[in-house]
Amino acid sequence: MIEIRDIHKTFGHNLVLKGVDLKVDKGEVVVIVGPSGSGKTTLLRCINFLERADAGEISIGDTHVAFRQATARQVSTIRKQTAMVFQNYNLFNNMTALGNVMEGLVTARKVPKKEAEAVSRAVLDQVGLADKCDAYPSQLSGGQQQRVGIARALALNPEVILFDEPTSALDPELVGEVLSVMKAVARKHITMVVVTHEMSFALEIASRVIFMDGGVVVEEGAPQEIFLRPKEERTRQFLRRILPETDYTI
Amino acid sequence: MLNGLFDPATVFIYLPRLLSKLPVTLLIVVTATLLGAAGGMLLALVRLFRTPVLNQAAVVYISFMRGTPIVVQLFLVFYGVPWLLDHVGIDINRWDKLFFVILTYTLNTAAFKAEVFRAALQSVPSGQAEAAYAVGLTRLQCFRRIIAPQALLIALPSLGTGLAALLQDTSLAYTLGIIDVMGQVHAIASGTNRMLEGYVGAAIIFLTLSVALEKGFGRIEANLLIKRHH
Repeated sequence: MIEIRDIHKTFGHNLVLKGVDLKVDKGEVVVIVGPSGSGKTTLLRCINFLERADAGEISIGDTHVAFRQATARQVSTIRKQTAMVFQNYNLFNNMTALGNVMEGLVTARKVPKKEAEAVSRAVLDQVGLADKCDAYPSQLSGGQQQRVGIARALALNPEVILFDEPTSALDPELVGEVLSVMKAVARKHITMVVVTHEMSFALEIASRVIFMDGGVVVEEGAPQEIFLRPKEERTRQFLRRILPETDYTI
Repeated sequence: MLNGLFDPATVFIYLPRLLSKLPVTLLIVVTATLLGAAGGMLLALVRLFRTPVLNQAAVVYISFMRGTPIVVQLFLVFYGVPWLLDHVGIDINRWDKLFFVILTYTLNTAAFKAEVFRAALQSVPSGQAEAAYAVGLTRLQCFRRIIAPQALLIALPSLGTGLAALLQDTSLAYTLGIIDVMGQVHAIASGTNRMLEGYVGAAIIFLTLSVALEKGFGRIEANLLIKRHH
């Protein structure tokens, strides 16, 4: 239901995406892993046009768009079907948690305020923040802010939610609460594309893991395949660096 | 009856006559602030989006307005603008002097506000704009709902200082023959040969207004901050 073909993106002389294909079925949780600079985040940002890809096409639902030629209206159509959770939460600091979640519904989608508020309170309850509706971002912990960020995405009921390293900016003791909310989202069969370094999350929740390096997809498959029986040497090297050693000798 | 350089009681005789011209001073301040803020916002956006040609023009304009004395600007506008328009067949020589005074202070205010707004808009983290686009807001909606409200709060202290400075700056409008508070001081002085009492009266009026402005802005800022944090 979401398909990307041959996406290319260059920053100056730096080729970041060198022809990536990605297909995600409804209800799938796709986790993208890879070393920093491999193009994972750029891929996500191109999907909802925060960056404009140089070449390639995207299909979401009934919308088919060539990245380069996309009109403002097409960009807006694609954005309406996607939602993004950011590494640095990016909450609107001038609005309460409830205001943050309602904003897309009321201002962008013209949902009546009462209806939007009911939906927003419900999703804030889902992420365990029913009692924080009236709190401003500055009054929330990093974990709570990110849960508001997830609620903001959920409220839009998009075809797919894109997660860009959602736990990387968090203190270690706050990572758990965010991951458990994400697991709950996954269990509702909401389509997710997640860029993360949380390998345990990938192993437990992902329907598919994609390993990217140097702007291309090196290998993809079920999490057990990728983590336990990687075929490519580059994947093995990456996993050796990122996974804890199984036996320690002192 | 009046002897010596300074007679305190006379200040209070002059004060009502000065206050009767306060509406002229306030008209200049309020009009120039509102129009100047709008102009300043436009200039700030031109600079932020690096609009070709307009950006360079804005840089030159802002440097000029910030780098020349207001008296020079008053005379340039008063004599220069009609002269320029005369060349394209528009005659505004008979227009009220107050128009040129308000125009000058508006142009001056716009230049100073442009830099205040630009700094304030830039200080709102760009990630919030990205989040706004991601939930489907247009550029204009993002500016109006997310960026502008936060920038305004950041700019508020500078806007307060700017307003107080503009109030003081209007004291030069009399050089074009405007009878505002300062114009009235000079009118009284030329009729009575008593100068100091008028100046002291003007000082009392300007000081009172400045302190009121300072307190007012302080209160607005505190209210907004309390609403947003804790």
